[in-house]
Amino acid sequence: MISIKNLHASIDGKEILKGINLEVKAGEVHAIMGPNGSGKSTLSSVLAGNEDYEITEGSVDFLGEDLLEFSTEERARMGIFLAFQYPIEIPGVSNMNFLRTAINETRESRGEESIAAKEFLAMVKEKSALVELDQSLLKRYVNEGFSGGEKKRNEIFQMAMLEPKLAILDETDSGLDIDALKIVSHGVNTLKNKDNATVVITHYQRLLDYIVPDFVHVLYKGKIVKSGTKELALELEEKGYDWIKEEVNA
Amino acid sequence: MSSTLTTNKTQDFVSNIAENKLSLWNELTAIRESGLKALSHLEFPTTRDEYWKYSRTTKITKNEYQFKPIPTPSINLSQVRIAGLDTYEIVMVNGFFNEELSSLPKNDVLEIKSFEECTTEELTSYFSKNLDTISNFFSALNTAYFSEGIMIIAKGVSDKPVHLIQYSEGDKVISQPRNLFVTQKNAELSIIKSSMNHNTFNFFYNSVNEFFIGENSHLHYYNLQNYNQGIQVISTNVATQEKNSTFSAYNYTLNGDWIRNNTNVFVKGEHCESNLYGAYQPKEKQHIDNHTIIDHIMPNCESNEHYKGTVTDKATGVFNGKVFVRKDAQKINAFQSNNNILLSNDATMNSKPELEIYADDVKCSHGSTSGQLDEEAVFYLQSRGLSKDSATALLIGAFLGEVVEKIRIPELKEKVLEMYGME
Repeated sequence: MISIKNLHASIDGKEILKGINLEVKAGEVHAIMGPNGSGKSTLSSVLAGNEDYEITEGSVDFLGEDLLEFSTEERARMGIFLAFQYPIEIPGVSNMNFLRTAINETRESRGEESIAAKEFLAMVKEKSALVELDQSLLKRYVNEGFSGGEKKRNEIFQMAMLEPKLAILDETDSGLDIDALKIVSHGVNTLKNKDNATVVITHYQRLLDYIVPDFVHVLYKGKIVKSGTKELALELEEKGYDWIKEEVNA
Repeated sequence: MSSTLTTNKTQDFVSNIAENKLSLWNELTAIRESGLKALSHLEFPTTRDEYWKYSRTTKITKNEYQFKPIPTPSINLSQVRIAGLDTYEIVMVNGFFNEELSSLPKNDVLEIKSFEECTTEELTSYFSKNLDTISNFFSALNTAYFSEGIMIIAKGVSDKPVHLIQYSEGDKVISQPRNLFVTQKNAELSIIKSSMNHNTFNFFYNSVNEFFIGENSHLHYYNLQNYNQGIQVISTNVATQEKNSTFSAYNYTLNGDWIRNNTNVFVKGEHCESNLYGAYQPKEKQHIDNHTIIDHIMPNCESNEHYKGTVTDKATGVFNGKVFVRKDAQKINAFQSNNNILLSNDATMNSKPELEIYADDVKCSHGSTSGQLDEEAVFYLQSRGLSKDSATALLIGAFLGEVVEKIRIPELKEKVLEMYGME
């Protein structure tokens, strides 16, 4: 589905990603772990098309297309979804209005009819139930006055509404208590199928008890320095990152 | 007419107006007197005057104008009518009342008539009662040489809003409508003013409205400004409030080459509420200036002022809001805020909120912000599939929407939302 080759990216002249290689196939769940400052969030921002970052080298192939050639919204319409670590509050823009616009512009770009009001409402009802998001929140402005957990559930709700091919969850577990974590994971697991893929970026192994990865990668100093299966995550949880750092620096 | 106190340039401008107005000069001469007197010592404002610091008037003062009545204009009023809203209609063409096109009430609650139909007593008790109507050159010019005037007297709660439509057409034409709006004790009235202009070139529109808000009465004035090219606008509203009254002025500007709005409210009674709301979107090389004054003379009153705007291309926006709280005006709650978003590097916004407080037991706040569109929010919306344009439009709509939401007539709110492209 996505094939990242030797990806280098920098911000304000400082290189953050120093040659990322990653291959994700449909139906797979990949976890990217790593210490703070290793470039995890940069990778997700770069894939989503954040123009603050400059791509200096490498390529990203997404479904046979050169992803880096496309704008943020085009990538979204192609099926990339980023669940933000810190979802922004947008006062004055209602959740529903914004989501309907997002869905319609995506459909329009594919030459499809816009969504009927009734169909949209039915979809909202179904998908919000999935992450136990109160309908009254949806009528409010985007994330305004939402608790941390509500913001994260709103991200997964949007993901459910937009039905992406590749979902990148950037530290979706940060700040969540165990109940909220279960709800969010349940949502992600329900949305999983053989045609889509999920990349979970996380600091903690705990999330991976609920969203079970097929592969685990360790990102350090802008490179993937180790890959393995879910057992690698358990090992990291137990031993921390120091042994990885030592291996790399040795 | 002329006086040695003024410069030749100002004199020439005034005497040109004076000459060509002669055919309109009528028994209303007497009430023009205060304006004529004021003009004898007032000069064209320059940017050295604090009140006109950011708005050059040379585009107006360099021209010679004439009044131009059009008795049978062809106007398509459906352009400005508000879907689903039944209103009385007053149509003024180039500053002259057009009774044929108007549809006036036939009841005892609302009286609408031209100055010619007013009694001398009616006129003298309201016309130019507020010194603000002669305190600057352009207001005085209107007081001396207004083209025609309408008086609205609400004696009770009006069943429908009044829609005042100001139509402008012509080359180097001056239009100086002068209106008096009176709400008597316990009356309630909403007035919507729409503007239309067609084939205007160097047109100068200089209106003055005087509002007299009687005891326990409520007046809401909505000013919609969406002009085509070729017109310079100075729109002055001066309101006086008696006790327990509400006055709300809503100013929504979408387009206009050069617009200066003056809204001045004098709160002369206790327990009054005054609301001033505005939204503006200058673009290209447009210049939109809102000056306001709220003068709290009596205690126990509240005022709310909120103006918001987006400035783009090479346009300029100006906001100057003054709130006075006089020495004996205790227990005043006065809030003022002005927020702007600059959408291009060449856009300019001059914002000056001012608060002068002479009382000691008051709650007042004022503030001004000018910034850029939140790039993070744009990215968030784009990452969900919205184009940059629709993300921007959605955010601007959300920003200006806050002051559009203040509109109390749902049909009108729809119209204004549509005007700003944010339904």
